[in-house]
Amino acid sequence: MPAVPSRRRFPLGGYAPLVPPFAVLMLFFAVPMGMMIGISFQDSDTGAFSLDSYHRFFTEDLLVAGIIRTLVMSGLVALSVTVMAYPVAYFLARSTSRWRSVIFALAIAPELAGVVLRTYGWLIILEDGGFINDFLIWLGLISAPLPLAKNLFGVVVGLTHVILPFGVLALLTSIQGIDRNLEKSAQILGASRLAVLRHIVLPLSVPGIVSSLLIAFTMAASAYATPALLGGSRFKVLATMIYEQIMFYINWPLAAVMAIVLLILMLAFSYAGSKVESRLHKKLHV
Amino acid sequence: MMRSTYLIPALAVGLVTIAGAARAEELVVNSYGGPYEAIILERIIHPFEEKTGISVLYDPVGSSSQDYAKIKATKGRPGFDVVVMTASQSLDGCAEGLLEPFTPQAVPNLAHLNAAVSKMAGPCGAVHELQYMSLLWRTDKISGAQDSWALLSDPMLDGKIMLPTFQNIMAANLVQALSVMHGGDLLDNLDPGFAVMRDLAGRAYGFEQSSSIMENYLKDGQVWAMPFWNGRAQLLVDSGVPVDYVRPKEGTIPLVATLNVPSGAQNKDAALKFVDFFLSKQSQEAWVTGYKVGSARSDIEVPAEIRARQITTEADLNTLLLPDLGVTAARLPDWGKRWDREIVPAAKR
Repeated sequence: MPAVPSRRRFPLGGYAPLVPPFAVLMLFFAVPMGMMIGISFQDSDTGAFSLDSYHRFFTEDLLVAGIIRTLVMSGLVALSVTVMAYPVAYFLARSTSRWRSVIFALAIAPELAGVVLRTYGWLIILEDGGFINDFLIWLGLISAPLPLAKNLFGVVVGLTHVILPFGVLALLTSIQGIDRNLEKSAQILGASRLAVLRHIVLPLSVPGIVSSLLIAFTMAASAYATPALLGGSRFKVLATMIYEQIMFYINWPLAAVMAIVLLILMLAFSYAGSKVESRLHKKLHV
Repeated sequence: MMRSTYLIPALAVGLVTIAGAARAEELVVNSYGGPYEAIILERIIHPFEEKTGISVLYDPVGSSSQDYAKIKATKGRPGFDVVVMTASQSLDGCAEGLLEPFTPQAVPNLAHLNAAVSKMAGPCGAVHELQYMSLLWRTDKISGAQDSWALLSDPMLDGKIMLPTFQNIMAANLVQALSVMHGGDLLDNLDPGFAVMRDLAGRAYGFEQSSSIMENYLKDGQVWAMPFWNGRAQLLVDSGVPVDYVRPKEGTIPLVATLNVPSGAQNKDAALKFVDFFLSKQSQEAWVTGYKVGSARSDIEVPAEIRARQITTEADLNTLLLPDLGVTAARLPDWGKRWDREIVPAAKR
């Protein structure tokens, strides 16, 4: 019997490939993050230690409203992306149609154009004198333009389009991992296609649904260009408020506080998402 | 063997020397792209290179806000030697030690600038250009000559005016100008300006931050009038768009553009030479006639049609409203909050 090679010969050798990415992350993520945390505790005028920016952020109603707006917008985008991406991902995972590759290309096509370009495209479609309003007025269905842009609706539409490919890819990976024999077995035993979807596919794709929700939520919460262009003067979210503090008011400590709050929110939602996913797993016995 | 032993170090030393010499003669100037880039290259940078032999690397990337953020983030070492910013940023950067103060010895042409305008930019800003917030309107939609901010409040323009968001300094400047017009002042009593702006917000087509987006609405006729920097307004006139602009009789606020040298600039001597060259009589005449803007030098000689539209004389300068930019910058956060509470809710969109 040949001798089994020792797997503990170079106990640290297995970590060697992690060194370059770890070094890059330390240099370009951890260090700037530490600097940002440091700046958040500075006085905006003197640079001395101060908690003023934190105090201001959590006591000013306009800034708190910005957090709420960000959460509402991100939640709606996450739901919208996941609901729209699911049928596309299911079709791509299960179809053998020759149109499958075309649909896949169309699903990821939005990523081929820059986000600013796509957002301007939506502005042209949604604004008062845009395609949709002009068409509805031409049909005689409305007499005045509908408020489709420069508000929450416009931002959610624009971000859904931008983020949809990521939702499709997250769900596609998950649905492709489900054993097709389970669905066939259920159908042989008399389950309808809807029942198979409801009792087999949907529960087993929960990890993909949670991933899609989390990816869409975090991408929406940190998006700048789309809310800035499609949101209008009335719709400020954390990302646009951070830009405003850095570029216009030159108040970096307050901008740093906002960025830290945004980061903590993202981490909290990611943690909560993973917890929800594991609970659903247990509840659904999958 | 001996030959290669000496040859390689000699070549290395030679290359380093050549690279160092080339670097010493290179100046990095950061400013804007588009029409600005073409005009500054032709009117200022190429003549400067010819006169001094210093090679200029032109960097058109970034707005003045982004450039200033870069200076701040790098503690005065942003990688460029001269930058075009505003008087407000000059004051802030000077106070933080991020910008190099100019002296009359290093930049002799500073002495020829209008003292009041120069003072607005502080010791680290060399005012090379003046624009003013003009009233711009579509001549095919609004007949007759206009001369007052009151046009924006005309009921015939309901839904036809575009206003800047507060992140565009024109918004605060418009509140200041409207305050003066209605009995307030530039800094301490902006109540009348905010009251007028509330009314305008409810009747505006919308608010935009970017000047280029604002001008698109005017070009396609959705908007008929708005406040606009006169340099860009003149470009619209020159491009054949049916628009005209005026310096309103109630007064307006200038956009004081400055040349700045970051405190950690690598080619400081060449940078100071460039600043002085840009402020010379000949360069100011070339810039005013090329980019169609005003100058803080009142001794320049320019054609009458340009003089009629631009700020080029002491008399022109005296018609401007000149708020203390340091105080304005300090009060912007409070005015911004007031804008968010009073103006934004009144806006239709």
